[in-house]
Amino acid sequence: MIRTALALTVLASPALADAPEVPRFLAETGGVAHSFTGEWEYMVGGGVAAFDCSDDGLPDLYFAGGAGAASLWRNTSVKGGALSFERGTSGAEVDAVTGAWPLDFDSDGKMDLAVLRQGENMLMRGLGDCRFERANEAWGFDGGTAWSTAFAATWEAGQPLPTLAVGNYIDPLEEAFPWGACTENWLHRPEGDRLAPPVALTPSFCALSMLFTDWNRSGVPALRISNDREYYKGGQEQLWHLQPGEPPRLYTEAEGWQRLRIWGMGIAGADLDLDGYPEYFLTSMADNKLQALKAPKAAPILPQYADVAFAKGAHAQRPYTGGDVRPSTAWHPQFADVNNDGRLDLFIAKGNVSEMPDFAQSDPNNLLLQNADGTFTESGERAGVASMLTARGAALPDLNGDGWLDLVVVNRNAGVEIWRNQGTGQPRHWIAIDPQQPAPNLHAVNAWVEVRANGVTQRHEITVGGGHGSGQSGPLHFGLMDAPDAEVRVLWPDGTEGAWQTLAADRVWTLPRDGTASAAN
Amino acid sequence: MLSRRLFTGLVLAGLVPVPGIAATEATDRDALTRDVLLTWNRLVLELVRHTATYSPPVAARAFACTGITAWEVLAGLAPDHRKSLAGQVNALTAPPAPTAPGIDPAAAMHGAMAFSVRHYFGNTGPTGQRAMRAMDSRLAERVAEGMAEDVVTRSLEHGRDVALHIIEWARSDGGEVVENMGFPQTWALGTQPGHWEPTSKIVQQQAPLLPDWPKNRPMAMPSADACGLSAPPEYSEAPASEFHVQAVEVYETVRNLTAEQKLIARFWSDDPMLSPTPPGHWIAILLEITQRDDLPADRLADALARLGIAVSDAFIACWQAKYQFDLVRPVTYIRRHIDPSFEPLLITPPFPEYPSGHSTQSGAAASVLTAIFGDNFAFDDVTHVDDGLPMRTFPSFHAAAEEAAISRLYGGIHFRAAIENGLSQGECVGEFVNRLVTFQ
Repeated sequence: MIRTALALTVLASPALADAPEVPRFLAETGGVAHSFTGEWEYMVGGGVAAFDCSDDGLPDLYFAGGAGAASLWRNTSVKGGALSFERGTSGAEVDAVTGAWPLDFDSDGKMDLAVLRQGENMLMRGLGDCRFERANEAWGFDGGTAWSTAFAATWEAGQPLPTLAVGNYIDPLEEAFPWGACTENWLHRPEGDRLAPPVALTPSFCALSMLFTDWNRSGVPALRISNDREYYKGGQEQLWHLQPGEPPRLYTEAEGWQRLRIWGMGIAGADLDLDGYPEYFLTSMADNKLQALKAPKAAPILPQYADVAFAKGAHAQRPYTGGDVRPSTAWHPQFADVNNDGRLDLFIAKGNVSEMPDFAQSDPNNLLLQNADGTFTESGERAGVASMLTARGAALPDLNGDGWLDLVVVNRNAGVEIWRNQGTGQPRHWIAIDPQQPAPNLHAVNAWVEVRANGVTQRHEITVGGGHGSGQSGPLHFGLMDAPDAEVRVLWPDGTEGAWQTLAADRVWTLPRDGTASAAN
Repeated sequence: MLSRRLFTGLVLAGLVPVPGIAATEATDRDALTRDVLLTWNRLVLELVRHTATYSPPVAARAFACTGITAWEVLAGLAPDHRKSLAGQVNALTAPPAPTAPGIDPAAAMHGAMAFSVRHYFGNTGPTGQRAMRAMDSRLAERVAEGMAEDVVTRSLEHGRDVALHIIEWARSDGGEVVENMGFPQTWALGTQPGHWEPTSKIVQQQAPLLPDWPKNRPMAMPSADACGLSAPPEYSEAPASEFHVQAVEVYETVRNLTAEQKLIARFWSDDPMLSPTPPGHWIAILLEITQRDDLPADRLADALARLGIAVSDAFIACWQAKYQFDLVRPVTYIRRHIDPSFEPLLITPPFPEYPSGHSTQSGAAASVLTAIFGDNFAFDDVTHVDDGLPMRTFPSFHAAAEEAAISRLYGGIHFRAAIENGLSQGECVGEFVNRLVTFQ
């Protein structure tokens, strides 16, 4: 047997295979001045909601403020130009906000906001022109009083309103013995034209991220929850069945669920290997996971995952630059094709919890570009996004409509950072798809959009939730490399398969369920 | 039975009935001293669980240091019948004696523990820091109730002086600074078949935990190799070899686990960052016995010191053997030579296999606790009730240690030789600790 001496730094990096093109990000806040502030009560959270509330086709930004007030910034960028924002007066400038997710709760075509707080959560009804009003009472939403840190939404079959899941963290009053003091997560299901009183998702284990996702392509999304092992007792990661009309029910070991205990901070899901099933990236401290189904061809498919982070070079377990070799602390993960090469890349927001000396203090954000062989290459420094600030939430919207995804990062007790993606220097193509169907669920949450180009089919699931304190809505972005067009179809939430259509690249397309696609630009 | 959190809350609120409360003031203060020590140790168990540096060897050292501190506080207040460990424990000199009469034991104990715990857990996270501050504040208020201010001040200072003395002593033992959670930044793997290989997919754990720990100064043992072990069965891939037979035993055991065996494996799993670790499990047992039997403060302090020294030395002895033999883990061997799909029930720890750390330190703990409380001392173990694992009852400390040891076979992380020889090694360590004299 031949064995070789181990050089850790070599093992941590997979062989470079067809190195991906690196996009150049230019730091450009565009006038945004905002920080997520606060001490212990705001050590987690710190999100951003990226969505178009002004109806101009460009995403606006709503930031959690922690101990300070949340703020909304209207996107005044010129298409293809520099980024610029103006502070708005939205009616949602409340304090104690930990995170926010956009969704069209009442399917009226105006985006609403789910606002999570240290205290009462709020549903804010979109009034148009980036103005909002509290709608807890009108929609029957019990905002509770907990320290809320995770959110997800889906539309269950036959329901006029979405089902909301809210993840709650520690009881902040437990000063001397906070461990084991996880408070109950809540599930809000519709009852007529309002939400019913919430149902506790017990056991609850200090959720920091939740995602309704159709992990096995059964047509019925399940609720995935990532939990912070720092505070639970007897806890683990969770997956809940949510069958229409039935109480929520945990997947069990007898059903194949495998116990995993991490400092769960964020979830990102995407079909990386193009097999039709999503892989999931789970952020943690020193042991991030990239989970791929062990047996996607089995019948039935069991919720058993192999951790392929190490093999694919996507572990991101320690800083890759800056000289701090202590383990990393990872928060918001998001898959997005930032170089338009048709392969999803992975952004991870990084930052110490708060003066934890066992973990890196200088902890750069990761930008892992996917290689042709499915491995990843760390490119944060070359791309210009290796910030050492203490990041939490993030979003990757196309802020200036130029077809290159930009980057927004929320930092704790430091200013928000925004980078404009200037592209790779190569004339790559892209397409953005915005499926729409008649109410309810106007924006087809939990539909799948498929794009065929360059001999492969990319698939994205439309979700509301996941990440860390952050969400975005709007057209789904697909990189197309050199393809001048792509075939596109939508697998609608009720299982109906839309027809394939060939659409030109470099456009944002609206795809009505029963109509003709139209380009927005 | 009170759960940990309920119990602690009651203690902090002053609601736990303290037997003898209506008797003399001294008895009252002794009960409070015991409660202060209990409460701080409950917090220490949580801090061990939630501070990343605290792998089992590091945790064991902290238990020893805080236990010795507690004992020295009380020994100094009654030198006529309590004997200091100075001159008995390696390199430990006499701590400062009280400079004036009228030291209150409860306040002194609080002063010592508050200072000591903040030192040893200075690198815990923001929640642990907040908890230590809250505990300090609440217990300081509690010990000051009804006491003259100058007595309280003097007593707190004396406790801090003793704690500082122990901290200074421990600084030179080799275990004070733990970098990168104990994992070397670079490491050359052994080159022979049968040597340890990484089993984890965590980058840090591609190097083994704390390879220099055997260089630490032991406390009661004269040297790290004072309880050396014979070699494990010779590595072999031959089906008839003893090594292969023991690997097959692990494989077949894991494949055919009973529900009870699974429960035992998980009960003693005691994973770092998910539990108070194996040495913390034994500390938890001691705290529960203290509560059940209403032990006086000095019995608790004595037991904490001796148990802490035992598990701390056990890890030094065990680690000395681990890096001497550098043996491969079952998961590596079984996947390569028996079944590539083998999955152990427990997470395989990131360091060499032989001997089993839990076995060694459990053997040492059982030896010491048996010396303190006697043979066939039955107890309930509620360490993991809050984590959903039910209480287990044991007829003796040795029975518990044997179950802890065999749990590593059920968990699929150790061969039998590591278990049996680990227990024997622990007994050897315990004998050194049992020679320490505390009550006289």
